Amino acid sequence: MTDTITAPTIEYLLLSPLLVVFGAAIVGVLVEAFAPRYLRAAFQVPLTLLSLVAAFALVIFVVVKDGVPNKAAAMGAVAADGPALFIWGTILLLAFVSVLLIGDDFVPSAVAVPGSVEEERAVSEGAAHTEVYPLVLFAVGGMLLFAASNDLLVMFVALEVMSLPLYMLCGLARRRRLLSQEAAMKYFLLGAFSSAFFLYGTALLYGYAGSIDLSKISTSLSSVGGQDSLLFIGAAVLGVGLFFKIGAVPFQMWKPDVYQGAPTPITALMASGTLVAAFGALLRVFWVALGNLEWDWSPVVWAVAILTMVVGAILAITQTDIKRMLAYSSIAHAGFILTAVVATAGAKQNSLALSGILFYLVAYGLTTVGAFGVVTMVRDPGGEAWHLSRWAGLGKRSPKLAMVLAFFLLAMAGIPLTSGFFAKYAVFSAAVSGGAVALVVVGVVASAIAAFFYVRVIVLMFFSDPAADGPSIVMPIATRGVVGFAALATVVLGVFPQPVLDLASKAAQSLFVR
Amino acid sequence: MNFASPAFWPPTTQEIVFLLLGVIAVGSAVLVVTTRQLVHAALWLVVSFGALAGGYLVLTAEFVAWVQILIYVGAIVVLLLFGIMLTRAPIGRSADLDSGNQIAALVVGVATAGVLVSVLVAGFRHAYMPLTPGAGAAKPLGSSIFRTWVLPFEALSVLLLAALIGAIVLSRTDIRGR
Repeated sequence: MTDTITAPTIEYLLLSPLLVVFGAAIVGVLVEAFAPRYLRAAFQVPLTLLSLVAAFALVIFVVVKDGVPNKAAAMGAVAADGPALFIWGTILLLAFVSVLLIGDDFVPSAVAVPGSVEEERAVSEGAAHTEVYPLVLFAVGGMLLFAASNDLLVMFVALEVMSLPLYMLCGLARRRRLLSQEAAMKYFLLGAFSSAFFLYGTALLYGYAGSIDLSKISTSLSSVGGQDSLLFIGAAVLGVGLFFKIGAVPFQMWKPDVYQGAPTPITALMASGTLVAAFGALLRVFWVALGNLEWDWSPVVWAVAILTMVVGAILAITQTDIKRMLAYSSIAHAGFILTAVVATAGAKQNSLALSGILFYLVAYGLTTVGAFGVVTMVRDPGGEAWHLSRWAGLGKRSPKLAMVLAFFLLAMAGIPLTSGFFAKYAVFSAAVSGGAVALVVVGVVASAIAAFFYVRVIVLMFFSDPAADGPSIVMPIATRGVVGFAALATVVLGVFPQPVLDLASKAAQSLFVR
Repeated sequence: MNFASPAFWPPTTQEIVFLLLGVIAVGSAVLVVTTRQLVHAALWLVVSFGALAGGYLVLTAEFVAWVQILIYVGAIVVLLLFGIMLTRAPIGRSADLDSGNQIAALVVGVATAGVLVSVLVAGFRHAYMPLTPGAGAAKPLGSSIFRTWVLPFEALSVLLLAALIGAIVLSRTDIRGR
């Protein structure tokens, strides 16, 4: 035993947000193991919320203390650069508000057959799966790692850490349980399929470059010759895995089903946090690893962006379920963000596009969490009032809530004086200066189509008569706080976006580390 | 990665063994999906995984070969067999294992295999790697896992914990009073 392994260098302070989230998840598991059943929720909720706040504070502390690091950490595994730190802050904020939405949305006993005696007994005993809190923390930790991974292996592991708890959480809705279980099954199978694509793409790119490090793949683009088929097929297959995660057409099939079936707080987390993390990883792969291959991938991303915007906007019109409608709107928004992904040129143009994307992710994430928060408040006897016809006349029953939702929908449509306007302006102007004018024209047309169904919901709420047995409004204090915060953020980012725009452009200035 | 490749003829013993193992792996993999008995499918899987492990061994990746035997042959196939036995699935010959989509599945499967094989052939037709004995032993692998790859390694253990918790959530029946 004479020779020893040299210890790896780990930048613990830089990784501390990640470590705090994972650590809190593990403490949460211990709470499940040792705390008595009636105390568990009282431990888990503060633990989860505090760890997210602490991780957010640590992100700020890291930036204030050392500035933005300019090289990869943890033996080149994690790139906690400017964009990554901004994305970490965004994900932690969105996860915090999504966790606040968790109320009585989860099934008391997942193993009981829907509608059976066991289920009734579990309800009457007040059973609850408090394991959802550690599972959410695991997923959030995975999101943080996914957006900051500097090589494809870390990215794959993070993808699984992020997805696996989400597959499980999707199947735990308290109401409409068969729909929820179907959603979880579909998400699991399709997600496993897309992970396999991702892994195969990683293997092919490794065969091409001899490394899975993003920056080494980038340098090998100019030095390796004669193996282009490996490179192109590898990049394409890897792209399938990533496009699946953001729900870009033609890989969007899972999104409406999963968003509809999952418990609404989890839907909010997926619509905001997962989208943010997936865009972080997508940008890293396409800009850092395959940046010099731009002429080859940008036509494909063009086509995907156009399809995503148009299909998302058009199919949203035909929906009658509010959560499905928001899911299709989320698909369309992924398309809008993709318009800035192709708008690459020099470093200056890239940082302009990147800051636009970052601002869009914050603005859209907060708005969509707010909208799903409103969805949890409007209740029928059997759960959330999911059918759009039940929302008719909500403006007369509960004008304040209807106005807030209308405001969120207008923000998603991109009306001036809302955060959505500046977000769309930021990505579209970056796309124009990047030479993607045709794409922006399609984007504006798709926005107009999308505005139609947002306005349709608003008209339904304010200009039709309420049904006699209309839904009731349930307003837990935490949900009210979330919706209020999201509405405030949507207003502030719409009227006075400069501080966040500055922050985004400062984070984007140094671009991704290589 | 392109070293001067020796002539293909006459083949070395290594190459012959590797080719034979490949034929066994592919042949038993086809039998896994065509046999009508569930238990036989699991057993053919053992042969396929074993041949793959032999392939790793020929390529001097001895540690990976033993892990393949321990984990896939030893743990996963045994788990599959237990799964078949404990869920009272039909153990004998069952006629309804064939799905109605088998023609479509065959077309998709062959097409996918065609793309992947042609990509690999196009990419690695001229590639040749001289093998150094001991490069795939436990020691170099261990030192690179606990140095270069320490963070993904730890993240994987977090993933396993999350999967475990999820499995407990989905299957626990000890609601109070039982």
